[in-house]
Amino acid sequence: MIRPRGHGQRVPMTLTRYIDEVGGDPVVSWGLPGPGPPVVCVHGAGVSSRQTLPVVRALAGRHEAWAVDLPGFGRSRSRKSSLTLLELAGACASWMQQRDLKNACLLGTSMGCQIVAEMYQSRPELVSSVLLVGPTMDPRMRSARGIAMRGLLTSPSEPLRLLPMNAADYMDAGPRRTLRAYAESMHDPFEDKLPHIDVPALVVRGSGDHICSRPWAEEVTRLLPSGRLRTVEGQGHTVSVGAPQTLADLVSDFLEEEGTP
Amino acid sequence: MKPDRAVAGFDSATAMLRGLSYYLSGREFPFTGVVPKKAEPATIRFMRGANRLPRAAKEQTYAIAGWSEAIRRGEVKDVRSDDLASWVAGHYPDRQHEVAFIGSANGALTHLAAAVEAPWLPQTLLVPVRRHGVHPDDASQDLDKLRSTGLELAARNPEWNVHHMHDPAQDRLMVEYMAYFRVKWRRLPAPYRFFLRRRLAPGGTLVISDCGLRWPTTRVSDQYVFQHGALGGATKEEFHRGSERVREFLQSHGFPHEAWRGPEPDGDSPEAEWGFEPAILNDLRELAAEEGWNLVRLRYAEPESLSPAVADLYRDWYERRGLPTGRLLVESFMLTEPFWTLKTGSVPFWMVFNTENSLRALESYLDGAPDFEEIRLALFSHGVESVGLAPVQEWKRVLDRATKLGVFLGTDPDRFPRDFAVLAEAHRELTRIRRTYPLPESLPWATAADFLKARDDVDLIG
Repeated sequence: MIRPRGHGQRVPMTLTRYIDEVGGDPVVSWGLPGPGPPVVCVHGAGVSSRQTLPVVRALAGRHEAWAVDLPGFGRSRSRKSSLTLLELAGACASWMQQRDLKNACLLGTSMGCQIVAEMYQSRPELVSSVLLVGPTMDPRMRSARGIAMRGLLTSPSEPLRLLPMNAADYMDAGPRRTLRAYAESMHDPFEDKLPHIDVPALVVRGSGDHICSRPWAEEVTRLLPSGRLRTVEGQGHTVSVGAPQTLADLVSDFLEEEGTP
Repeated sequence: MKPDRAVAGFDSATAMLRGLSYYLSGREFPFTGVVPKKAEPATIRFMRGANRLPRAAKEQTYAIAGWSEAIRRGEVKDVRSDDLASWVAGHYPDRQHEVAFIGSANGALTHLAAAVEAPWLPQTLLVPVRRHGVHPDDASQDLDKLRSTGLELAARNPEWNVHHMHDPAQDRLMVEYMAYFRVKWRRLPAPYRFFLRRRLAPGGTLVISDCGLRWPTTRVSDQYVFQHGALGGATKEEFHRGSERVREFLQSHGFPHEAWRGPEPDGDSPEAEWGFEPAILNDLRELAAEEGWNLVRLRYAEPESLSPAVADLYRDWYERRGLPTGRLLVESFMLTEPFWTLKTGSVPFWMVFNTENSLRALESYLDGAPDFEEIRLALFSHGVESVGLAPVQEWKRVLDRATKLGVFLGTDPDRFPRDFAVLAEAHRELTRIRRTYPLPESLPWATAADFLKARDDVDLIG
């Protein structure tokens, strides 16, 4: 079990914004140079890199790190009113190819974990390891009511600064795209893909997270051939916002243990 | 007096009796059998609320909960050996068994009995008696005040040896308002005799759970001894002679002495809670000979000595059933749950308590066993940073030995050793594990016996 260690000292860094054309849509990303393998952060349903940039910043000086806004979310645009999970995974893989990111450590948060699993299935050569932070979607809560209830139960453990982030993200994506993303997340057979992820995997969960409940996080870990589970005490669903430094420490430790510091 | 009023509910023997009898009845065992499953969520909410009380209020709540379980001194005259034995026997479903156990309480034995689907009759029960005006660190005062009560309990129940016990370390909160009388059957009570004749099949096996642990005692009468201290974090010597860490513990509790006060021991006896009293052997031999049963003695030096053997037996059994063997469930003290251990396909490793000694026993087992993918640890909370308590950080290190996931089970590491919700949470979290298995057919006793006979750490004689 891991406890947040606070935000640590400031490290000089150059976070660079990039815009790439993926399938005719402009995809916005932020990159931070550093030693490999690159850590690529994939955000959850309806939200954006606003929620993964804190951990990218916390990785400064330790690893090359990236945060991307999937098409239609955050500052990335999409001509389509909404994309399927398969299309989102495909777009992310194409963006990685354009950025020449290979053998990456894919870090998914929430529904981003499902996109990571899908990417591994279709483009395994891009992935050297995976980190699933608060993975969704627990088969026992695949309903709007279930998600809302678990979200409410989790809210006391979430940081207050998440509120404006969520508001901005949902405004950027719009209600249609956000709802479609949740629907995609609910219908994705995520658990069937996990046994095929043959690379080192770390599952991270906040102890107060009811969206990714403990039994579900344990089941995800169990299904991964090389999975391990770590719990961050006192955190909710968005560990990347609530305890980015702790998450960055976990990423570093994980990559070090896997022999790719 | 109703027997369940006289016998402590929050005790190892009672919890193990309930856990096993629930399993043999095909039932799970929420909150150590005290509340029905439907009341579990409300109980957990209540206990989580209690967990948030200030430390002093929490300690008082714990002590008062214990006191509420104890009987008044005036009620001791109504406590009868046969009533208690009938109450024990009444826990089990009405069916015949090929094997039955009798003797020392032991968490690993509970799992062994569950595997072979056999009942266990405890030799020892706890009868707590209310009293006040005794300093927890002064065991002599406890003996002086309650001597007449102990003598009365013994005089009215000649089948018992009475072990008056005072543990100022681990039972510190409890001994403030009550005295511990552990009663051991030295003669086989008629209800046990009746139960065995009715439920143990002809040609069956009667197994004696024989824990060899002894403890220094002061003899009060032929039937009555006083035991200062108990198995846990402090050594036998420390209870009588003190040590640097005892001095620090006493000072932190405002008792300005170098050591605890207690009567000078004049011998030793079977340890009050766990030790086996051999005086009952004659009756068991006679009954077994009369009924044509095999009488087998399962001897182990200390309570935890049986745990590695039973854990390995479960591994072996799961392997032969084609189940995974990589899930370890570490239980402590009265936190045992045979039903969900088997349902979740967990290998049970029982620890007598939550001390450094138990931690070492667990580590030693892990050193010699293949890696476990999953380790769950249910840590009993007794409300005190007692001498020899293993801190949470050390327990976390053990959890890190799991190759996939190592987690506390129902235990809030921030509140240990004052996490009262663990009594209910541990069960609930076990029931939430996603991958479960059908309950097994019973393990044949002959298979279990052959396995135990091949072990160096336990003796199966007979």
